Amino acid sequence: MTKRLVLVPLALALVSAVSLFAQTDPGPRTDSTDSGDPLPSVAANVPTTILDFFNDGKARFEEIDSVTGSIPGEAGFGLGPRFNSRGCARCHSMPATGGSSPGPTGGPDLSVSENPQIEDASAHGATNTLPSFITSDGPVREARFIFFLTAGVPDSSKPDGGVHDLFTIAGRTDAPSGCTGSVLSQPDFATAVSQNNIIFRIPTPVFGAGLIENIDETTLLTNRAAQTGNPYGISGTFNRNGNDGTISRFGWKAQNKSLEIFAGEAYNVEMGVSNELFTQERPNPDEEQASGLPSACKVNPTPEDHTNFNTTAIGTVSDSVQFAMFMRLLAPPTPSSTIPGGFTSIRNGAGVFQSIGCAVCHTVQLTTTASRITSSLDNATASLFSDLELHHMGTGLADNVSQGTAGGDQFRTAPLWGLGQRVFFLHDGRTSDLMSAIAAHSSSGSEASATVANFNALSSTTQQNVLNFLRSL
Amino acid sequence: MGRNGSLLLLAFLYTFLFGATSALAQRAGSKALPRGVILVKGATPSASDATTPVPEATAITAGRIESRYFGIAYRIPAGWTEQVKGPPPSDSGNYVLALLVPSDTMSKSVRGSILIQAQDLFFTAAPAANALQLVSYVRDHLPPGQQVLRAPAEVKLGDRTFARLDYAAPDIGLHWHIAATDIRCHTVQFIFSGPDPEILDGMIANLSSLDLPGGGRAPLCVAGYAAPENVIERVDPVFPTHRFNPVPTRIIIDRQGRVKHVHVISAFPEQSAAVVAALMKWRFKPYRRNGKPVEIETGILFGSGNGR
Repeated sequence: MTKRLVLVPLALALVSAVSLFAQTDPGPRTDSTDSGDPLPSVAANVPTTILDFFNDGKARFEEIDSVTGSIPGEAGFGLGPRFNSRGCARCHSMPATGGSSPGPTGGPDLSVSENPQIEDASAHGATNTLPSFITSDGPVREARFIFFLTAGVPDSSKPDGGVHDLFTIAGRTDAPSGCTGSVLSQPDFATAVSQNNIIFRIPTPVFGAGLIENIDETTLLTNRAAQTGNPYGISGTFNRNGNDGTISRFGWKAQNKSLEIFAGEAYNVEMGVSNELFTQERPNPDEEQASGLPSACKVNPTPEDHTNFNTTAIGTVSDSVQFAMFMRLLAPPTPSSTIPGGFTSIRNGAGVFQSIGCAVCHTVQLTTTASRITSSLDNATASLFSDLELHHMGTGLADNVSQGTAGGDQFRTAPLWGLGQRVFFLHDGRTSDLMSAIAAHSSSGSEASATVANFNALSSTTQQNVLNFLRSL
Repeated sequence: MGRNGSLLLLAFLYTFLFGATSALAQRAGSKALPRGVILVKGATPSASDATTPVPEATAITAGRIESRYFGIAYRIPAGWTEQVKGPPPSDSGNYVLALLVPSDTMSKSVRGSILIQAQDLFFTAAPAANALQLVSYVRDHLPPGQQVLRAPAEVKLGDRTFARLDYAAPDIGLHWHIAATDIRCHTVQFIFSGPDPEILDGMIANLSSLDLPGGGRAPLCVAGYAAPENVIERVDPVFPTHRFNPVPTRIIIDRQGRVKHVHVISAFPEQSAAVVAALMKWRFKPYRRNGKPVEIETGILFGSGNGR
């Protein structure tokens, strides 16, 4: 036998051994059945009629909006003039209504079989060009430009940071005839991409959002104080509501104070529906600095979503309020104790997660305060795996968008409950692989670099336990 | 056109097209924003002058991490390297001075990290006034399952007193050995982690020669000296926008009671400018030690105080 023939099997054996022991992301868990369920006390209808509010809110969350409400089968009203998608649940859908971006095969509660923004772009005759960063197997995305342009070039003295909606209603059968593509054009995404002047965000899952909303400020401040001096170099801060100075907590940069603000803003920004919280139709940021939206495309009286005076009971409440109520009453998914990897691996991984510093930011549990809404929100344990603080995430993750007091590289610690069933990770959905997501936490300027160094110091088996634990959530 | 003419034309077209493409690429490139750079910053540190040492300014020189502010020079162990820089100081006064990891050329058996961080004791959220108290606080807040192998206690390494804490995560075989020392009302922590406690012990022992050769004298640090009874003239900073973030600030007061240096630890640019402009107009009663006026540094918290 020649030397080459000996070496080939040896190399194959080594590759096999590496494959055998290398840690891998087990991928999204499919065994869970309770994602999208209401909180237990809501399911028990305590207090009476609360379950009706949950179900009504969910139904509205799943509606598809048209411009004038004239399209059969699409119950919603007020779409556009600019929008990113046509319904809340088209984006918040994985693994169930209220989740994050659907995966390559769509979300389980949707009829679509690909990224729903592809259908949104051309639905009912819309003449939008699909941006290059929206793909059939990629995440649902919104786009923000980093700087405004001066003479066609990004101007670092003019921070933008605002959402530039992907689509317009131009060409749709329910849009005014005068609202054409030449009157209301899409942003120049191709140039923004070529100039690196664009960043992306994917939908944050909203499971357990009512528990997050009901965590008292003192609990958060006490938790922060307990982190002082931690041996991982971590020291976060809070984003604060500009009106009252209290801690804000929703959104990728914790820029929104409450679920109603969160819902009202999303309804306005993502779907173009004016409402009682955000009362005008929203232009893109550069239009806002000029003369606003063209009048030919402003179809409906405002606010398009509002309290309904001619109905009774639940029907009185606006969509925005009911979206918020649905999110507030939505339970967090139940983690698995055995899948993936088995009980022992998950338990060990949970311990390691704390030992190496992950849990300093991804705080395992916080307790809610007393609630007047329902007992499941009342002094409850929220296993959210977040401190709701802003942390510097370094050059690798920086999106160069400032929101509130959050700078261009600061993000709210993402809650990890439900992570086991998510397809896309990080604020822009850049990866579906947990190992890549963990590695991305380390770069110059990041508070997480020492913790990632600790993770890298673990054996492959122990790293696999951490991955199994994360996918059990 | 003959063969030579055709080749010449091809060469001309190639040069023209390639050159044009290259020029276009260069123009497009010049308009493109750089990747991997933080262009839009949040709260950052700043100072009233560029020459007075500040805590966040560390430099790697001749295999050592040097801090002129703290007057220390830590010799980097052979084979270890700084791959990434730390975050900016936090609004509670925490600094990551350096993070070292085994270099790619090191044996895979060498694992772990060396983290050097400092906590400004004027602004810490922990009930700690010195290194021993801070390390004890860390011990009290260790994650579940950690085993304390050496309770917080003071040890002498060279001329310097350290508070030392050793603990381990037995399930994963990782150890943490912490040595913390007080410098200028900061606790500077050296945190060594890895699987081999003997190697970590050796790293702790190497802290015996930490002082920066030729390091200058530091002003005396005095907590709370900006209290009303010590201030003769005070001008409040006017923030053009109210952001609800805390603005921790250190000042050096000279022997005449004038503000000699302002270090804004964490603030937005317009806040820093307002704080520096105001503080430079403050006058203090000179701080006296043994009857003689001495230069001191102290801390003041502006902005929203409830952020910590």
